Amino acid sequence: MRVVVAEDLFLLRDGLARLLSAHDFEIAAAVDSAPGLLCALLEHRPDIAVVDVRLPPAFADDGLQAALAARREVPGLPVLLLSQYVEQLYARELLADQAGAVGYLLKDRVFSDDQFVDAIRTVAGGGTVMDPEVVTKLLGRRSRDEPISRLSGREREVLELMAEGRSNTAIAQRLFITEKAVSKHTTSIFTKLGLAADQDDNRRVLAVLAYLNS
Amino acid sequence: MWMLITLLWRITSRVLRRLGRGTLLVPVAALGMVVLGVTVWTVAAVAVAAVLAIRRPSAAAGLLPVALICAGLWGLVLAASAPGMVAWTAMPSFSIQVLAPPPRFPAVPTGGKAVSYRTQVGKAVSYRPPVGKGVTYRTSVGKTVTYRAAGSAGPASQKTIVDWRVLPPPPKMVHLYMIAGKPGAPGRWLAGPGKPGAGLSPLPGNVTAAPGMLGAPGTWAAFKPGAPPVLIGRSQPPAGFMRSWLLVPLALLMLTVGLWLMPQSLARLRQRAGPLMPYLQHRAREIGWGLALAPATAIGMSVFGASPWTVAAVAAAVVITIWWPKAAADLVPFVLVALALRGFQLAVHWESLSAGTSGPGVPYGFVTVDGRQSALVAGAEASAFLAFGAWLVPRTIGTRMGSGADGDLAGRVARLTETRGHAVDAAAAELRRIERDLHDGAQARLVALGMNLRAVERVLPTSPQAALALVAEARETSLRALSELRDLIRGICPPVLADRGLGHAVQALVLDTPLPTALEVDLPGRPAAPVESACYFAVAEALANAVKHSGARHAGIRIQYTEGMLRIEVADDGVGGADPEQGTGLQGVERRLGTFDGIMAVSSPPGGPTMIVMEVPCALLSPKTCSY
Repeated sequence: MRVVVAEDLFLLRDGLARLLSAHDFEIAAAVDSAPGLLCALLEHRPDIAVVDVRLPPAFADDGLQAALAARREVPGLPVLLLSQYVEQLYARELLADQAGAVGYLLKDRVFSDDQFVDAIRTVAGGGTVMDPEVVTKLLGRRSRDEPISRLSGREREVLELMAEGRSNTAIAQRLFITEKAVSKHTTSIFTKLGLAADQDDNRRVLAVLAYLNS
Repeated sequence: MWMLITLLWRITSRVLRRLGRGTLLVPVAALGMVVLGVTVWTVAAVAVAAVLAIRRPSAAAGLLPVALICAGLWGLVLAASAPGMVAWTAMPSFSIQVLAPPPRFPAVPTGGKAVSYRTQVGKAVSYRPPVGKGVTYRTSVGKTVTYRAAGSAGPASQKTIVDWRVLPPPPKMVHLYMIAGKPGAPGRWLAGPGKPGAGLSPLPGNVTAAPGMLGAPGTWAAFKPGAPPVLIGRSQPPAGFMRSWLLVPLALLMLTVGLWLMPQSLARLRQRAGPLMPYLQHRAREIGWGLALAPATAIGMSVFGASPWTVAAVAAAVVITIWWPKAAADLVPFVLVALALRGFQLAVHWESLSAGTSGPGVPYGFVTVDGRQSALVAGAEASAFLAFGAWLVPRTIGTRMGSGADGDLAGRVARLTETRGHAVDAAAAELRRIERDLHDGAQARLVALGMNLRAVERVLPTSPQAALALVAEARETSLRALSELRDLIRGICPPVLADRGLGHAVQALVLDTPLPTALEVDLPGRPAAPVESACYFAVAEALANAVKHSGARHAGIRIQYTEGMLRIEVADDGVGGADPEQGTGLQGVERRLGTFDGIMAVSSPPGGPTMIVMEVPCALLSPKTCSY
């Protein structure tokens, strides 16, 4: 799998490249600025881009802007954004095109390399991965809403994990329940939120996020 | 009986709760009608009270304590001055007939004006000069006067003059007071000028009260002088009741209740007037010493008398204060000097000046100059005016004369000094907070991390399992350090604010807020970073207050930029009662905005809604261009 890494700090860029190489990813390019990222993405057409939100030249949200620009050129180009902080506002913009294949994680998540690599594979496969902190904020904002408050404690947990982009199997492992129980909860959640049930994992995550973001 | 009282109390309290406390204003106003009689003024007062109670219940409730206190004070004054009560028994004055002028009095014509003497016992006596029409006598303190009580045939007495005054021309109408009289029974007539209780003196001899005319002691009637006097009016029967034993307790009760309710009423007033205060303060600061012009001119009215000229001067002072505040400030010392000059003139020439007036003396400020002592007091007052005027000169005219610096600049410097102080303090406090957070947070975690790694080194050769657990712990510690640093950075400068500016940052803030909030942004560019930051934290504070304290269901934020002014409104439909005086949050916001000449106004009456408006003058940097 070919990856483009964009990160301006040498140590982190190097670390990321090494981590990904160790998990059998091929580093197509490792760049340190937003214009460089845009060029690399359009030139190499990687299977996934791992991008730091804050990049030169302006050291603002240049990374995000470059990734969004690249996705406008190449619709559905998988992009995983890394940042020192997560903002609902940026998550919204990433999810706005409803095309999936996006991820938004705190840089801290790199520490658990297995989960990080799983997240990269999910996004590369067209899935959506949101940082637990984004999901917590989304749910926090909607916690007063009637349908969300009707969910049981377990259903809320399942909803959170689902919004993070985890598959039924992963949710089952995480919560120590059977996959059958997970799908039962999922059906119940979709009924309570008034969403159409969807068997496809990726579309299901997008539906949940769209609901929470509305 | 008890049940009836309970029932009445319940009904009253229920009605009061429904109508509000303001309704009580009507009966209090009606009291005026009972005491002062049914006149245009008392009826109008009751009507105004009723309209207020219905249309503006909260204003009526606010006015209630004021009305109660006024009514209570008035009652006490009435009790103290009502004839037949305290005042009468304490003031037995009498009229005397001077049989012969003291031999050494220099005879000075004063145009037929009556002269009154104050005798040693301190009672006012008056007489019409018996010798020579249109001629009266100047006397001086310490001389003896021979007199006999009017109407009595007893021996003449002598009194020493301790003070004297010129009386106004004889009134065309006098009030006659009847005391200790019952219909048909002998009573005493008292004559007094105008107001009840002022300078009463008994008329000669006993007079039989006309049947059915007047009853209880303390009732009064007005007569045209003549023989017999013609009755032209008398006090209302309820006055007798009101001035009886009930008056004093009732007055005290109203005074107590009024004073008890006053703080509440003041607090409410402060809240109502809250949004106005910053404007008024701003205006007051702008006008400065000019504010003293109108009061100083008003003192002139009491010094030079209330003539058309002095009234016009007061009106002119008000106009000048409003339109030309700087000129008003410059005029204050001149007015004070003029007042002082008149005072010194009075202090020196009081004898000739007071003889030439028709009143009891020459008014000057707080005294009426009619003798040596009052002349000295007037002189002292004049010195105070002069000293104040001199003290003001460098603060008003001086600020413009010296080195051409104008008052504006001085005010500006003062303001900048103040806000710079706030800004420096705030920055120092912020640095201390950051230092503390780093010290207790990230720094401590790094120390723990180092110790953990050292422990790993130690146990690795012997127990790899234990080492693994320690490493996991170290990773956990580093995560926590990162999260704390993240929070710290968010508190210093929120990432979205740095990345994209105020509009997006507030949008991100709204997204993170559990309260449904409408946002409207009309901001064609980015203000300078410090202004942006101050505005962002101001909105964050206001919104956090709405979430925490107001119980609001909706909030709204509007950010607008027009003609060099950034205007931010934060409103919510909560319970209101936000007070910048309480708590440091909004005060901090005000100070922080003040650094940029920004102002904040809070309107938050109890019951809501709350609206906080902030305005900061600033320029916008050109919109940030993005190459993507």
